[in-house]
Amino acid sequence: MSATKTQMISRRKFLQLSGALAATTAVTNPYRVLYALTRDKGEITPDEIREVFSACDMCFNKCGLIAHVENDVIKKLDPNPNSLKSRGMLCARGNAGVKQLYDPDRLKYPLLRKGARGDGKWQRLSWDQALDHAAEQLDKIGKEYTRCGFLFMAGTDMQSTFVHQFAEAYGSYNVISHESNCLLSRNRAFLDTYGVMPTPDVLNCKYVIMPGSNRFEALVTPDSMDLMTAKGNKSKLVVLDPRFTKTAALADEWYPIKPGTDMAFFLGIAHVIISEELYDETFIKEKTFGFEELKEHVKQYTPQWAAKETEIPAKDITRIARELASAAPSAMVYPGRRSSDYEDSTQIRRSYAIVNALLGNWDQKGGLQVPKKIKPGSMHIEAPFYEDNPDDRVDAGRAQMMFDEEGSFKHTRDAVIEGKPYPIKGWMTYKTNPMQTGANRDKTIEMINTLDFMMTVDIAMSDTAWMADLVLPAPSYLERQDPLSAFLAASTCSGVITRDPVVPAMFESKPVFWIVKELAKRLDLGEFFDFTVDDFRKAQLKKIPQVAKALKEDGVYNITGPSFGIHKGKPFKTRSKKIEFYNTRYKDKGIDPMPVYKQPKTIPENHFRIVVGRNAYVTQSASTNNSLLWELEKENTLWIHPKPAIAMGIKNGETVFVKSLAGKVTIKARVTKETRPDTVYMDTGFGVLSKGLTNIFGKGACIAQVLEDKADKISGNMAMHETFVTVTKT
Amino acid sequence: MTQHKKYVIIVDAAKCIDCKACMVACKVENNVPEGFWRNEINVLGGEDGSLRTEFQPSQCMQCDDPSCVAACPVQATYKKENGIVVIDPEKCIGCGNCVTACPYNARYRNPVKRIADKCDFCEDRLDRGKEPACVVTCPTKTRVFGNLNDPDSLVAQMIKKEKLIRIAAPHINTQPNIYYFEGTQLLDWAVTPMLPGNINMPQNFWKSKSSSKEG
Repeated sequence: MSATKTQMISRRKFLQLSGALAATTAVTNPYRVLYALTRDKGEITPDEIREVFSACDMCFNKCGLIAHVENDVIKKLDPNPNSLKSRGMLCARGNAGVKQLYDPDRLKYPLLRKGARGDGKWQRLSWDQALDHAAEQLDKIGKEYTRCGFLFMAGTDMQSTFVHQFAEAYGSYNVISHESNCLLSRNRAFLDTYGVMPTPDVLNCKYVIMPGSNRFEALVTPDSMDLMTAKGNKSKLVVLDPRFTKTAALADEWYPIKPGTDMAFFLGIAHVIISEELYDETFIKEKTFGFEELKEHVKQYTPQWAAKETEIPAKDITRIARELASAAPSAMVYPGRRSSDYEDSTQIRRSYAIVNALLGNWDQKGGLQVPKKIKPGSMHIEAPFYEDNPDDRVDAGRAQMMFDEEGSFKHTRDAVIEGKPYPIKGWMTYKTNPMQTGANRDKTIEMINTLDFMMTVDIAMSDTAWMADLVLPAPSYLERQDPLSAFLAASTCSGVITRDPVVPAMFESKPVFWIVKELAKRLDLGEFFDFTVDDFRKAQLKKIPQVAKALKEDGVYNITGPSFGIHKGKPFKTRSKKIEFYNTRYKDKGIDPMPVYKQPKTIPENHFRIVVGRNAYVTQSASTNNSLLWELEKENTLWIHPKPAIAMGIKNGETVFVKSLAGKVTIKARVTKETRPDTVYMDTGFGVLSKGLTNIFGKGACIAQVLEDKADKISGNMAMHETFVTVTKT
Repeated sequence: MTQHKKYVIIVDAAKCIDCKACMVACKVENNVPEGFWRNEINVLGGEDGSLRTEFQPSQCMQCDDPSCVAACPVQATYKKENGIVVIDPEKCIGCGNCVTACPYNARYRNPVKRIADKCDFCEDRLDRGKEPACVVTCPTKTRVFGNLNDPDSLVAQMIKKEKLIRIAAPHINTQPNIYYFEGTQLLDWAVTPMLPGNINMPQNFWKSKSSSKEG
């Protein structure tokens, strides 16, 4: 069943065609394309069929794909079997990519707000008018409030680098990413233990403990597939989760752990491993720092103690610790991805990192690895210096150890609302939707209402675009040329992928690269964008010319080779040059140098803790309006356990109020034993304000409306599991 | 090789994570209208708030003795030599007999084309040398597709090596060509075949006349 031959022919054809695309300025009539889609497959001559490589953009994974194109219409997206990251798969969202492209709800031309923010009254602008207006606002705000008075926020995207570059040239260092709503505390914890963020070799692991992560629903390639392969090879999977997720359903053991007590569980595990001397003494001696302190520290954390905190029996904690140790070093605490849960989420992840070190799985098969990575070059710009700029980022000092290059959405938003330490009056967002993903939506609206000008570049009218003053239409990933992007693929090492337009951009959509280039021209910053994406790619490829050929022929460049045993004898990039059980930098800053357990706040009477999660066919708010995925989930529901539901007389499917200190929503109840009696849950991405999302407008509830905006003290990562809600009948 | 092909799918339901990739892939590939699916994932559990513990993909079983073929009054639906049961769009009158005749709920009436529709193992793709969309796209490779008559194929080897089971429909045995691993707690998704209007027919009626053609 090999399709390689036909791909080779089509590939050549694609190359010819992509040249043709670049040369022509004619735009395919989008309405003709949309019409053509409503019709069935007709007779098509082979000449009109193309198979084109690309990389998926329905979430952050960048899985390899092959687009099947007939008459310049993408009919089907298939997985690219050459990608060692995605291992020849494409999930439901990946398959639904055609509907992101051919979506009647797409933004078609630039729009300027008329009327109040969020009223949905718009005026169509030409691109020249839109860009002139944006440039004028950038100039005005820069002059009046300094260049740092303009905030930039770009999500995970292969073109986000151009937004960062624009911010640099423009002169603002107030640049934030989406990551402070996601995984920064995890990164912080592992960096502060290992000096690097390692990648888990799930494929070869014999014993995986997965605290909170939901890898069979929140898909991460290749971990999600590797976990199943490992399962087939008799690896053991233990899941700790207040919800019975599909990962829990397919695990060997599931413990509905009391939310917020994961650190107690792992300190208990550390206690058993140390007290029973189940660790590799040579490894501890050679590679770790602060073992004696840790030994002393975890004496108090017995399995019996941990059992009371976690509601997991002490005998199971002891047994799991022993099983882990006997499977070591091919055993791990899975580091997970999103860690924006508690106010001590960095310290919670430190406890994961510490148990991993006790298992000695560093640089081992089936352990935590740092595979060889390829680094595409870049085009460095000598940014101008703006003397009047303030000394630091606007969110500086609000968390103990923030990542400057990522910032904190929560702290930046607070600073903008307070106007302290200096005012921010402009905001540009690209490929991120903080109105849906940032806890406490009312506060995001409050922040936007303090601004003089906000512009959003998006594919559809997201809630963030809905609140903006100027909305600029971007093409989907299937219609644009992107720079190269490196990726990690766990134990299969790493690679590089890129995108060329599969079909011409529809409507008047323009890539963000073009937008910032045009803005730069208007702001006398043209010299910093005196290049094309092609030029940028050439610079990226300069030291890695072999990549270009692989991208052409296979649609992906994979680096293979051993991913373990490659760091022998190398010092760790930590202060002690070792894996740090005890972190002296933390101590210097007044932070607990080892994770000290603090009980999660008690849930008040008649309240529930609300938690955040995901399923496999929703990428938060970016995909819920996609008509193919919407068919799988037309609205979200509130998961509530039968015990409290029966006590309150709430029936399955009944509409309820969910209320917190942040806000109140109405949503249908899903009465299910798949969550703890003290914990409720809803999917992200519904309850939208934007009437431009026609499938889901008026459907379900927005979790950001009820989540309070607490933050992890160390990293400034949002803490989204610290909210208590009441659930009442309507 | 002059021998006919016999396409089958072997499903390892223990690998299914219910991610719906197969459903969306099929829908796009085959232009299935909103509200309908050619394949689905059956869930074990979930009733009255219970835990959902296993996920079982299903689709047309391309039966060797298909009751849908027997039920078709105009011979629009028939079994091809490669084992795939297909619908001739020129002949189908959209009566719906085959929809209720299928014990596996694998057929529907396409409101756009106004004829019956169902999984055909993506014959268009097979012609282009590609496997069915649901098979290719699956993250965990729950489905294995192949030609049972090719002894080198993975499916032929699995049939020999693994203990496999097939779903049993009440009332009749249609000889389905989708196999599941033994140990799968197969759901009772199969129903008694009927004619529209809940009309029960004697067992003999469902014996497919065309199935004798099959090699």
